[in-house]
Amino acid sequence: MSIRCRTALLLWILLIWPVVGTMAQAPEGPVVGNLDSIGSDTMAGLMLRWGERLEERHPAVRLQMQASGSSTAPAALAEGTTRLGAMSRRMTTSERETFEAHHGYPPVEIPVAMDALAVFVNRHNPLDEVSMKQLDAIFSDTHDCGAKRSIDRWEALGTPDFAGPIDRHSRNSVSGSYGVFRREALCGGNFRVDVNEHPGSSAVVAAVAATTGGIGYSGIGYVTVAVKPLALRKGDGPAVSPSERATLSGEYPLSRTLYLYVNLPPGERLPATEHAFLDLVLSPEGQDGVRESGFIPLPDMVIAAIRQAMGLNRPWGEGSS
Amino acid sequence: MIDRYPPPAPVRRRFRDLRDRLFTLLVGACGIGVILAVLAIGVFLFVEVVPLFGGDTPASETQATTEIDFESLWLPQQYPDYETPRYRWQANVLSEDDTPMFSLTPLAWGTLKAAAYALLFAIPLALGAAIHSACFMSRRLRHRLKPALELMEALPGVVIGFVAGLVLAPYVERHLVGALALVLILPLGLLVAGVVHSCLPATLARALSLSRAGLWLIPWLALLVALAMVMSPYLEVVWFGGDMRAWLEQQLGLDYAMRNAMIVGLAMGFAIIPTIYALAEEALSGVPDSLSEGAQALGASRWQTLWNVILPAASPGIFSAVMIGAGRAVGETMIVLMATGNTALMTLSPLDGMRSMAANIAIELPEAAAGGTHYRVLLLCAFLLFVFTFCVNTLAEIVRGRLSHRYRRLGGLA
Repeated sequence: MSIRCRTALLLWILLIWPVVGTMAQAPEGPVVGNLDSIGSDTMAGLMLRWGERLEERHPAVRLQMQASGSSTAPAALAEGTTRLGAMSRRMTTSERETFEAHHGYPPVEIPVAMDALAVFVNRHNPLDEVSMKQLDAIFSDTHDCGAKRSIDRWEALGTPDFAGPIDRHSRNSVSGSYGVFRREALCGGNFRVDVNEHPGSSAVVAAVAATTGGIGYSGIGYVTVAVKPLALRKGDGPAVSPSERATLSGEYPLSRTLYLYVNLPPGERLPATEHAFLDLVLSPEGQDGVRESGFIPLPDMVIAAIRQAMGLNRPWGEGSS
Repeated sequence: MIDRYPPPAPVRRRFRDLRDRLFTLLVGACGIGVILAVLAIGVFLFVEVVPLFGGDTPASETQATTEIDFESLWLPQQYPDYETPRYRWQANVLSEDDTPMFSLTPLAWGTLKAAAYALLFAIPLALGAAIHSACFMSRRLRHRLKPALELMEALPGVVIGFVAGLVLAPYVERHLVGALALVLILPLGLLVAGVVHSCLPATLARALSLSRAGLWLIPWLALLVALAMVMSPYLEVVWFGGDMRAWLEQQLGLDYAMRNAMIVGLAMGFAIIPTIYALAEEALSGVPDSLSEGAQALGASRWQTLWNVILPAASPGIFSAVMIGAGRAVGETMIVLMATGNTALMTLSPLDGMRSMAANIAIELPEAAAGGTHYRVLLLCAFLLFVFTFCVNTLAEIVRGRLSHRYRRLGGLA
């Protein structure tokens, strides 16, 4: 875990503590109800898996979700359309401010899994690695990472046997992956106008699988055998493949955390359905689901800290001490 | 004459009158309700858009709206990261100092480009089919054909978009020369079929009558398609030196995007063919028989009657059919969303993608915070689309109304 991640976690725990500390007493009973979630397409499969397990644990609870992109979550949370939002990136300051303007308090942020944003090419492409600067030169037209000129052909990346124009595929701007890629790989610059925008992660994978000269990115969970993930090189360092170890240590340049955001007024306890869901997500069973979906579980230590902070270690209904 | 219907008893008649009046009121209320709903949509969009141009924002609004003027929406702008002014659409904001770029020009361009390519594909096919089925086809075949085309209309846009984007686009990319060869070979092959048909001996020509041309041409068309596909590798070597994409790039400087205007034109053309066909066929078959019979009695051939009498008489109807098709193409969302790369480019090339207004709304509206600038610019797009389709459809309806008036004057049924 990088230092930045750790400080973020610590800060977050400090933030959440007073909220949890003042939770009120509530009557006990079987958990019943619908749980609505709006947000990330990257996390759609993961949420679905969690939803199935939740129904196994609490047969009267249904998870209803809508997954069109991370940016739909802050808008829906602020409008009050949903109380639970899944995001594959952190909320931006302006999104937080919009939420606070509507509700008067900040949303609760819960990290639930780690993910590597894989950059991949068609499986017939001999290329194995690419540097972050080259990535910027391929996808951006502002070159904020300092590339001198655009890269338009595969030959320019040192693949003499594999010539031809580069066909770029990306997610649309609603996507958290889009935001993370823009911030980390393009240094906040702009995508070129001729980058294809797809409505879902699997659409990007399908498009790159169908185009010999294609390149695209998505969460590692969506990568199939038809595409080949590239190792990324940052500066003069070695090329790093998107492995679990490299992602957790932060060595892989495009690693990110997946979050759930909950609309929880300060001083109130999590409602029963949300409590049951988060209890599942942050349990060994829930983290198994993370691995099955192709993402990377959080380290046990981190899980324990979050559970403690959220008050998930006590069964729902027992008041705080 | 035997009076088979005796006058109803007074009580029953009164009940019937009451029932009639009730239902008339109900139907009238429904009709007015629909009109009000359409107007309400227009008013809602208008009210939401006004703050963009400096109207008063309601005090309860939690989102600030930056004022935007005509210039920044439609003319090239100087953006921080670029050297020259340009048209850019980039609504995603990462941080406070990130400026969103709202230029509607590339979106309007994409909308019109997609519609234009769809019409380019749909008009010849739909009008040809309408003319053939109204003027040449046997009545029985026509009754079979109509439900088939209606079925085509019932296909949801998502399905067409999915097939176009994930099946057709990769296939065409792999068989680009074959697709090009088809465009050349099919019309030529049909011409050849016409010439051969006119040279046939009388008995054979009667067996292969023109009114059933749609049926016996199918094997011939299948043969042409197979021929084009088999020949395509050889054609690629002869015409393009073995690699068409490389040739396009070197000779014409064109880059081939897998999801391009050609694919969208094909898919959306497919979606609007039934609309144009149905309306054009109605206009053509509504031409009073007295006109065409008169022309033929004066010695005009079938073809002369068609060109000089039927087509001019039905032209307003055909015009309105095309207009309504264009209206549908401009508003179509899912096909453009799925069959293009949603790249906000401003080129004419059929090999480039585009981003249409409707697709842009579908992609970005869920992320736009209600009341913000981005939200209002998207609703402005919606308003423009609304106004456009409203005008086009109204115009088409007016022209159609005139047409039926004209037919009545000429003594037809309609």
